[in-house]
Amino acid sequence: MSDAQEIKKIVIARLETLHPDKKISIGSSGEFSRDELIERVKLGDSVGKKIVQIELEFLRSLKKGMLS
Amino acid sequence: MSRRLLITRPEHDDTTHYLSSWSKKIISFAESKGVRVFDLNRRRANKKEVDGLLSKQKPGLVIFNGHGSDNLVSGHGNEPLIIAGDNEELLSGKITYAISCKSAKKLGPRSIDVGAKAYIGYDDDFIFFYDPNKITHPLKDKTAKLFLEPSNELITSLVKGNTVEESYNRSKKYFKNNFKKLLSSETTEEETSMARYLWWDMIHQVCLGSKKSIF
Repeated sequence: MSDAQEIKKIVIARLETLHPDKKISIGSSGEFSRDELIERVKLGDSVGKKIVQIELEFLRSLKKGMLS
Repeated sequence: MSRRLLITRPEHDDTTHYLSSWSKKIISFAESKGVRVFDLNRRRANKKEVDGLLSKQKPGLVIFNGHGSDNLVSGHGNEPLIIAGDNEELLSGKITYAISCKSAKKLGPRSIDVGAKAYIGYDDDFIFFYDPNKITHPLKDKTAKLFLEPSNELITSLVKGNTVEESYNRSKKYFKNNFKKLLSSETTEEETSMARYLWWDMIHQVCLGSKKSIF
């Protein structure tokens, strides 16, 4: 499995912990349910890429201890 | 002369509907403090009305709710209201808070270059969660509250007479407190998983211009 596929897998696993009935507003990109976000990450479109970016930046911040 | 506040409240999708509803609290609070509020709701959140009010009424504080991009903020039906390189000089001498995506990236700095006192906004997407079951009563949505109250705190603080810097710090602190609340052991896994998006809003909220400015 490539790095990109591995990252997608991790992000999807993290998204699965979101509430299935809540929606997320991502500005002008629109509003999405948890399952729609997962689909976008699988597709790799602009919304999917944004979600991957958020997850990775958050994980990096955790690692750097920037959240304490 | 009374202090003047201009606020745009487009309502053409779930996002703008929520931002508009949560702005009602701000309007009531500002009016209770003697502020004259120019409320551009729905179709009135258009370029012509915004241009006219900014030029003639010269509000000290301008709040934009709606969608945006690097170089613009938009109104009802996504009509561009303020565009970098076109009419950002209308923000000259004013404090602006844009609850919209990315406009602090280019429009914010450009407005400061042409004389805006301060520009607070987001240099990336502004994200929030909401409960679709509460769509008819957004103010009762405890999920959206986690994201929209920290944002409102900035405006409330400015209206109270605090500086831009104090208000910005109070908003950041509110985001951080809600973030920590979501990470506490008393919350569910589903609630905890929203925390990273609160963190995202917090780190992408930026403050440009004179931090000592007061509304």
